[in-house]
Amino acid sequence: MPMLTFTEEILLLLGDEEGMFLPVEEHAFECALAGAVLMDLAFAYRIDTDPEALLTIDPTPTGNPMLDRVLEKIAARAGTTDTRTWVGVLSREDAAILREQALASLVERGILEKRDERFLWAFGTVRYPTIDDGAERAIGARIEEVLSDDIPHPRDVALISLVDACEILPDLFPDRDVASFGPRIALLRRMDLIGREVAGTIAEIQRTVVREARARAARFQKLLLILSACGGLAVAATLLSPPIPLADRFGPGLLESLWYDRVWKQWSGYLLLGLGIAGLGIAVAVKKRLVARIAGSHGWRLFHIALGIACVLVLFAHTGFRFGANMNTALMGFFVAALLSGALAGAAIGGTPRLRKMGVRRTGRHNRALIGLHAIAICPLPALLIVHVLTVYLY
Amino acid sequence: MSPKVVPWAVVAATLLGAVWFAAAMTIGGDRSALLIGETTDAHHQLEIACETCHTAPAFASAARAEKALNRTCRKCHDEELKAADDSHPRKKFRNPRMAAYWKKLDARLCTSCHVEHRPEIARVGAVTVAMDFCVACHSEGDQDVRWDRPSHADLTFDTCASAGCHNYHDNRALYEDFLVEHAGGPALAPSPVHALTARHRARESPAEAALARSDAVAPAAAVADPAALDHWAGSGHAAAGVNCAACHAADLAKDAPPAEIEIHWIDAPPAEVCEGCHKPQAKTFALGRHGMRGHPRLAKPRDPGRALKKVGLGGVVPESITAWLADPPLPARITAGEARLPMRPDAAHRVSDCGTCHRPHAVDTARAAVEACASCHDDSHTRAYFASPHYRLRETELAGRAPPGTGVSCATCHMPPTVRRRKVTTNHNQNDNLRPNEKMVRTVCLDCHGLGFSLDSLADAVLVSRNFSGTPAVHVESIEWALRRAESGERDTDG
Repeated sequence: MPMLTFTEEILLLLGDEEGMFLPVEEHAFECALAGAVLMDLAFAYRIDTDPEALLTIDPTPTGNPMLDRVLEKIAARAGTTDTRTWVGVLSREDAAILREQALASLVERGILEKRDERFLWAFGTVRYPTIDDGAERAIGARIEEVLSDDIPHPRDVALISLVDACEILPDLFPDRDVASFGPRIALLRRMDLIGREVAGTIAEIQRTVVREARARAARFQKLLLILSACGGLAVAATLLSPPIPLADRFGPGLLESLWYDRVWKQWSGYLLLGLGIAGLGIAVAVKKRLVARIAGSHGWRLFHIALGIACVLVLFAHTGFRFGANMNTALMGFFVAALLSGALAGAAIGGTPRLRKMGVRRTGRHNRALIGLHAIAICPLPALLIVHVLTVYLY
Repeated sequence: MSPKVVPWAVVAATLLGAVWFAAAMTIGGDRSALLIGETTDAHHQLEIACETCHTAPAFASAARAEKALNRTCRKCHDEELKAADDSHPRKKFRNPRMAAYWKKLDARLCTSCHVEHRPEIARVGAVTVAMDFCVACHSEGDQDVRWDRPSHADLTFDTCASAGCHNYHDNRALYEDFLVEHAGGPALAPSPVHALTARHRARESPAEAALARSDAVAPAAAVADPAALDHWAGSGHAAAGVNCAACHAADLAKDAPPAEIEIHWIDAPPAEVCEGCHKPQAKTFALGRHGMRGHPRLAKPRDPGRALKKVGLGGVVPESITAWLADPPLPARITAGEARLPMRPDAAHRVSDCGTCHRPHAVDTARAAVEACASCHDDSHTRAYFASPHYRLRETELAGRAPPGTGVSCATCHMPPTVRRRKVTTNHNQNDNLRPNEKMVRTVCLDCHGLGFSLDSLADAVLVSRNFSGTPAVHVESIEWALRRAESGERDTDG
């Protein structure tokens, strides 16, 4: 059986015992996949890099469809872009396909098993539990050896770099003081253990992957945190601030029109419904990887949060943050709960690096719990909205 | 429960709930959970009889639904507006020449100012627009009130209806001619007597019809209660020749034999028995807050069988489910516990019907006029009554030291006698003479007080809460202004 590629190895490391993936930031994950495939091509003597460009030195296919597709793409534009750009391009455009191809290969090799599980039909969750953990244990053992004082194999040095880029060492070695590995990892990066021909290439890819992953992570998470915090604050305002009183002066006023004019109410109501459906649609599409190829999932996720903020504003226009009575209170309650849990989940995901720096562990579990709460709060909304709309048109 | 089941359970439960409520809306069932907001005090008793107001068919256009809604308002309230000589009748605004005003405030529609289920914007008198609404029409052009009234030059429009000068609908005691005519009246008349009450009290039953204790015809078990028998013997019923069977076996002829009476005897006759003889009182009772659940215009519960047939499910749905879809019946009467006004906690269970105020055997109208009210109502105005000059006058009258009509009870002001076809009966619609409180001026206050004193007293909220113990601290200047305008010759001759 052919040797595992870096892409397959990193995916094996990222899988947990339940067949889910460790809570790696998606940008790091995608950059690691892009870097892994470039490393595979470098070790196969197909590409070379220098600080200015990434070049194809041998366009002959490797026989691995996953690598050959990327090689073909690079060959078509070789010499025109540098490594950083290629990591960026591949992570945005090809990460999803690389991931699927690598997972399919691991399933074919009998290492993983594919299990498709549904959550409310639309929210399908695909798990890849390990059925033969030999390969995974072997990789783990290699990493552990490399992190000790053993002389590392060049491939292991490259793998360590990818693991470091994904920041999954704490998850791989939960019982160890991961901070103590820092000097060793830094030393490994400086060691000229890789064959002369590929050493420069791998080193450049490593640097680029880590740099790009961290830069994109920082940008995305900062934006995610800011947007989610805005949404969360807006929702908190609905809960904490007293109802806004209307001016006791007769005459057309914007707030009066928004809150009590039938036509305005209808517009804001349908706009709210549209925003809600769009937000839900984006969530489903991102989850099912339908939109990642269009603009990458980060953009869509940020757009999802932006839609949430828009929902808060339109909700204000529609209700003035009044909870109403009876069925309307329930509808408003679940709507606000969905918005609040969504904002909290976004803020928690965006704030994960900060939380980790503060020593908070298992942030992934908390993030998943918040997303679960978000989904649960959304569940009753369709039925409540049907009743709400019916009451308007029947009475 | 598995965590994976939770979302499905939530979706399924809420979808089932949605189906249930959709059925409740279209076929039948309890819709109280669908109320979008608290109804006003005026309508909360009938809020689950939705079709009383919402008469438009399902999915009717907004314009049609609004028209239907307004038609229902008028059906119930037109008569009282007519009686109040409505200052802004709908017919006035239907004139196309008033079209310019429709966009400012469409006075053709009740719902322009009174929107239900909006407690957050409901103000005094169930008005849901800002209280300076007069500005819409009376601030410009020939309708500008400041144009020919120097007295109004510095006034703001939020004072029109709050200072005791004007009401939108009922200005019977506030219009200019009336003010001029009654200007200068004394605070208290030399011989203050409420004329209609005096006339009402003076009624006497013919002595020959009167029944004595020994005349009672009732089963032995019933007459075994001496207190009930004594009460009846001293009541107006006995004085008017109304024997036990007239209420306890109401279906029988007057001269039915005792054996038959015993067969048809009912221990607690329902209110319908009272209504059989006291039709005017029953009619007005159903128009007021105490008896509006018996209002003839209330929508009857929907027939789920008919609704199912309409949607093509007639005969398909089992009887048991059809019965399950029936509208919950509206309770026949309100209880004190359901009322929005402050009520005594120990009266919460008390049902508002004839027997609650008029003890069934005693039929004591004096008790019904004060003590019955105070046995439920627990607000400052009610409590202060017993220390008020009005109460002292009533005590004096009841003690026989003053002529009939000199005492003032709760009923004197809130359920005053009225004359219909030359017959004096008590108007049991308390709302007829309640809000705006200037409604009481002509029917009650002026019999004993001057107009100026009455208007000042009614405009003083603190004095009202003290039940008029003291003198008004508020002065309504409208009489002076009307006099000044009349003397200067600026006033229109038609008032």
